[in-house]
Amino acid sequence: MKAAPFDYHAPPTVDSAVALLQRFESEGIDAKVLAGGQSLMPMLNMRVARPQVLIDLGRIAALDYIRTENSMLAIGAMTSKRAAEDSALVRERQPLFHAATQLIGHRPIRNRGTVGGSFAHADPAAEYPAVALVQDIQMKAQGPHGVRVVPAREFFVTYMTTCLEAAEVLTEVRIPALPPGIGWSIQEFAKRDGDLALAGVVATLRVVKGVCEDVRIAAFGVNATAVRLAAAEAALQGRPPTPENFARAAAAGAEALEEPIADVHATPAYRRQLVRVYTGRCLAEASARAT
Amino acid sequence: MATGLPRLPDELPTSSVRYVGKHVKRIEDPALVSGTAQFIDNFALPNMVHCAILRSPHAHARIVKVDASAAEALEGVVAVLTPEDVKRWANPHVTSPAGWGTHCVAVDKALYVGEPVAAVAATSRALAEDACELIEVEYEILPSVGTAAAALAPDAPVIWEQHGTNVVQQRTFDWGDVDRVFAEADHVVTNSFRWNRCGANPTETFGCVCQWDLTDNSLLSHGGYQVPGFWGLARSLSLNLPANKVRVVSHPQGGAFGGKGGARATDIAALLSRKAGGLPVKYIEDRMEYLLAGFSQSWDRRYEASLALRADGTMTGFKVKLLDDQGATTETYGTISVAKPLAAFTGNYRIEAARYDTMLVVSNRAPAAPYRGYGPPPHFYVLENLVDMAARKLAMDPAELRRRNYIQPDQFPYTIPSGNEYDSGNYEAMLDKVLRLADYEGLRREQAAARAQGRLVGISVVNTVEPGVFDWNAYATVGVQGVGVPEGARVSVDILGNVTVVVGFNLQGQGQFTVAAQVVADYFGIDMNAVRVTMASTDVAPPHFGQGGSRLGVAVTGAVLGACRKLEAKFRRVVGHVMGGLPPEAIELMDGRFRIQANPGVGMTLAEVAGTMLGRSDLLPPGMEPDPTATSVWTAPNRNVADDQGRCRSYLTAASATHVVMVEVDRATGRTEILKYFIVDDCGTRLNPANVEGQLQGAVAQGVGAALLEEYVYDADGNPLVTTFADYLVPSIHEVPITQRDFIVTPSPVTPLGAKGCGEGAMHTTPAAITCAINDALAPLGVEVTETPASPLRIWTALQQAGVAD
Amino acid sequence: MTTRQRTTVTVNGRVYEREVEPRLTLADFLRHELHLGGTHVGCEHGVCGACNVLIDGRASRSCLTLAVQVDGAQVTTIEGLRNRETGQLHPIQQAFIDEHGMQCGFCTPGFIMTTLEMLAENTNPSDEQIKDALGGNLCRCTGYETILKSVRLAARRLRESSAP
Repeated sequence: MKAAPFDYHAPPTVDSAVALLQRFESEGIDAKVLAGGQSLMPMLNMRVARPQVLIDLGRIAALDYIRTENSMLAIGAMTSKRAAEDSALVRERQPLFHAATQLIGHRPIRNRGTVGGSFAHADPAAEYPAVALVQDIQMKAQGPHGVRVVPAREFFVTYMTTCLEAAEVLTEVRIPALPPGIGWSIQEFAKRDGDLALAGVVATLRVVKGVCEDVRIAAFGVNATAVRLAAAEAALQGRPPTPENFARAAAAGAEALEEPIADVHATPAYRRQLVRVYTGRCLAEASARAT
Repeated sequence: MATGLPRLPDELPTSSVRYVGKHVKRIEDPALVSGTAQFIDNFALPNMVHCAILRSPHAHARIVKVDASAAEALEGVVAVLTPEDVKRWANPHVTSPAGWGTHCVAVDKALYVGEPVAAVAATSRALAEDACELIEVEYEILPSVGTAAAALAPDAPVIWEQHGTNVVQQRTFDWGDVDRVFAEADHVVTNSFRWNRCGANPTETFGCVCQWDLTDNSLLSHGGYQVPGFWGLARSLSLNLPANKVRVVSHPQGGAFGGKGGARATDIAALLSRKAGGLPVKYIEDRMEYLLAGFSQSWDRRYEASLALRADGTMTGFKVKLLDDQGATTETYGTISVAKPLAAFTGNYRIEAARYDTMLVVSNRAPAAPYRGYGPPPHFYVLENLVDMAARKLAMDPAELRRRNYIQPDQFPYTIPSGNEYDSGNYEAMLDKVLRLADYEGLRREQAAARAQGRLVGISVVNTVEPGVFDWNAYATVGVQGVGVPEGARVSVDILGNVTVVVGFNLQGQGQFTVAAQVVADYFGIDMNAVRVTMASTDVAPPHFGQGGSRLGVAVTGAVLGACRKLEAKFRRVVGHVMGGLPPEAIELMDGRFRIQANPGVGMTLAEVAGTMLGRSDLLPPGMEPDPTATSVWTAPNRNVADDQGRCRSYLTAASATHVVMVEVDRATGRTEILKYFIVDDCGTRLNPANVEGQLQGAVAQGVGAALLEEYVYDADGNPLVTTFADYLVPSIHEVPITQRDFIVTPSPVTPLGAKGCGEGAMHTTPAAITCAINDALAPLGVEVTETPASPLRIWTALQQAGVAD
Repeated sequence: MTTRQRTTVTVNGRVYEREVEPRLTLADFLRHELHLGGTHVGCEHGVCGACNVLIDGRASRSCLTLAVQVDGAQVTTIEGLRNRETGQLHPIQQAFIDEHGMQCGFCTPGFIMTTLEMLAENTNPSDEQIKDALGGNLCRCTGYETILKSVRLAARRLRESSAP
């Protein structure tokens, strides 16, 4: 399986990348951004994606960084997932994001795959978008009209589609540090270790005076984008962290789900079941972590 | 067959066996770890061009028009092969039963998604794929047959107009008085089972480099060919070439597990070479092509089966009704997988009567291909699950129920109702050993404790017979002719005493070259590293078959031993003469020296004898040829022609194994975790223990895949839904349990050195073992799963439907 | 027609400069431009790991990397493991022979390269860590047991050879 022909550019700066994308857009030429390639290259090899031009962001050293801004973690979009996984800063400030990173594929995939790539690619089964929804992660993008910062709930639009415009490049992912006292959990179900999840859940909560507060739950792998499970959150908010309450919240969340995806591995009913099961398990794990 | 071959390793002419049966390093390995082994895609010929294939996107469609002009005009394209070319130059492939094979491309109709329609040769594979997109094909889409059931429906579209039916063959075999046995039974256990398509998926796909010589009308074919001679003959028939003008050079293969040979691919590449004026054409099948239309899909089956038992648990009868979906054609010999179960139809048991009601149909799915086990793995999945169901019905321990029914050691050679003869075995000793290894009582206690906590823990004790060393007569019931499968080896010694062994096959991973070197080295008392084993192309190779039917370890041992024995006879004659006119009988070979029996201190080494033969004709017996070479062709002894019920002595050996497996099923998700896995096997003399152990653990991995993960899914119209490795789930290191293993040895009395065929091994047993354990876990809930793979979705759905899901 | 690009790659310590089509993968570049055929292609969609090489020391799927992307990078392939002067096999290669860590050998270079990265970072990996590192390499022949043994042996020998 060999890719269809394309031209290739590897601009050295974000400005030059945006300029190229803008130019191709105005000329009606189909240009695609290449980050780590772990998702895009299979699509190119299978000729499922056939852009005329690839804009490789891999030479933009300025997009490879992990730093803090006050209590925010700012990660350059072209930082490898491997760097995020190995970063003490990430592990300490954002153990949830760190755990999500470790769930992604296998080491060789994380060596090349970028943090920004998962956000921009927006696979329904990706972990990062779900973490983004419960952690208020913000995406910084640069385009012909300048720089903008987009919150997660506006960033993911639908299946494999974000709000990024044709000439816009995701430059940074801004992740608030996990506040002290928050319990967190991310768990997913795949038939083989490291595969894309059939379904997964992320949950964070506090336990204050014996009841659950600030409950945030998101599911991934079940709908066109990751989704907050508002019904599950509401069912647990203000209630004690008991197995019965977790089960009730999980049932509410699963029931309220928009009809899940059907494919060869899972029926909608089975995905709904997985959401229910993993919501319960994540809530238990999160509450055990809450201090 | 050469008589007088050593029947056990200690009969080799050595006072202490150094290699056979020992742990030795493989001679194949240094090249493999260095990356220098010449897999076919590492091979090139000068001026070689590259092939890409245009494939049908439709399951059933008439080819109305093919316009290759735009493709031909693309710079870098050297030739385009159209259906017209193929119709003019080639013939349909030979099949068994005859008449269900097509040309290498769809000439009138495409019969399955992925069927080749045209092909391009260009200066690069990428360019060839670009050109394929420029070929315009006009299709007339036809109603398709998506399943076997649809194939049998009264108003089903007929795929093969010339046959007028979708039924390839319907045959019922009756062995013994089945009706009486079932009528008299105290218990009859009946169930239906569904085995879904899974398949070989070696890490390396098929590839070939073909060059058509227009001056002498001959073909050179390099490639991943499992059975080179057989394949070359088939190519001569499909390509209208004299058989001795097709030269096949087999390369080491990155696995095969069934049948590697790319019949269509080879014909396409060869015809492209012809059209391109004789340029060599390379075709490398990519993974998506393999999954879609390679030798990739096997065992698309619906079973109804029954077991008849007496009150005391004696199994008296076994009935199987099989509906087998062969896919669109029988070109990849999927029919044989319906015939092979006759070789071990009743497994390890003394069942006296059996019936096999078989219906083979075509559909618009990919042609069914051989896969490790070649039929018995689904068959034993059915038999062993029925035995467990019987055990539950009789409230008997499943190990004890089996024990009660085993063929006893003193009953061998044992002829089963379907006609094959098992050579030897001790099933009770195997059972005892594995139950001890597993601490079976302890496992059942663990299970009881887990059940008290509401956990779904299951245990199975499953045994199978693995027929080894196949013969053609095993497949007579699907129209295969002939008796006798040859395997030849030519052993030569050079003037310095170095030994070369020439065989007709190449490596796939089972290590037969090392086995050949072990045998020669122990026979002639030389260092294993002094033996070179090499493959000869089909034009100069001794008669051979190659890998298949768990035969090659035994067959190549027989061939090599036969050649060594012939050489020994020549050398004894030379030495006797050199030692002063002694007869050959006065000379014996021991520990690498040809010595005077009456005076063992006097003798010659292998190097001295060979050096004499090639360098001192004056010292040789008058008229003796200076030829330190011998060829021997081994074939299984005592085979016969099948009768009208398919009965014959087919597979020569009967290896066996008993597996004990403990699993836990997650009630909430249906996921199965394998907690413990124990195996005791018996494959007779273990010529190379590391090879045997590797085959066992490797087959377990494939069995885990078949039982839990791997499935080719189609929609109702025959469109494949599983087309990449993202959806076809080959087990990784995380999914495969490391098994705990032990073994017993009941040597085969009918093979050289007493070895039994063992290459297909645990594939016969593991799917049954895992699914029986799952059903044991689910039994208290009244739930069973009788479809493979027993995926989390299937198990959860079964629990859900029974109202017992979490 | 797309524009060919120059790429300059150091492979196993030797510098190669070539003009290639942008769509040429690193796997195909290594195999067919540089005739280093030890890196094998099993799936071309990043699942099987047979094509793993090291790019700047990091295990990477060469089928998912473009040759133009490694312009200026250091690539290590299976051919680079043997000692160039003595011809001696790398301890990982030798361990795979000693523990029968292969049957057909097609997946083996991929496993060895992934192991090379892992052992460079973790000289005493647990079985769990080994499995985590190798989870993205598929083997169809061995059932993984002897691969696990080979890696354990390689780790032990590397530790012993570097011990004072």
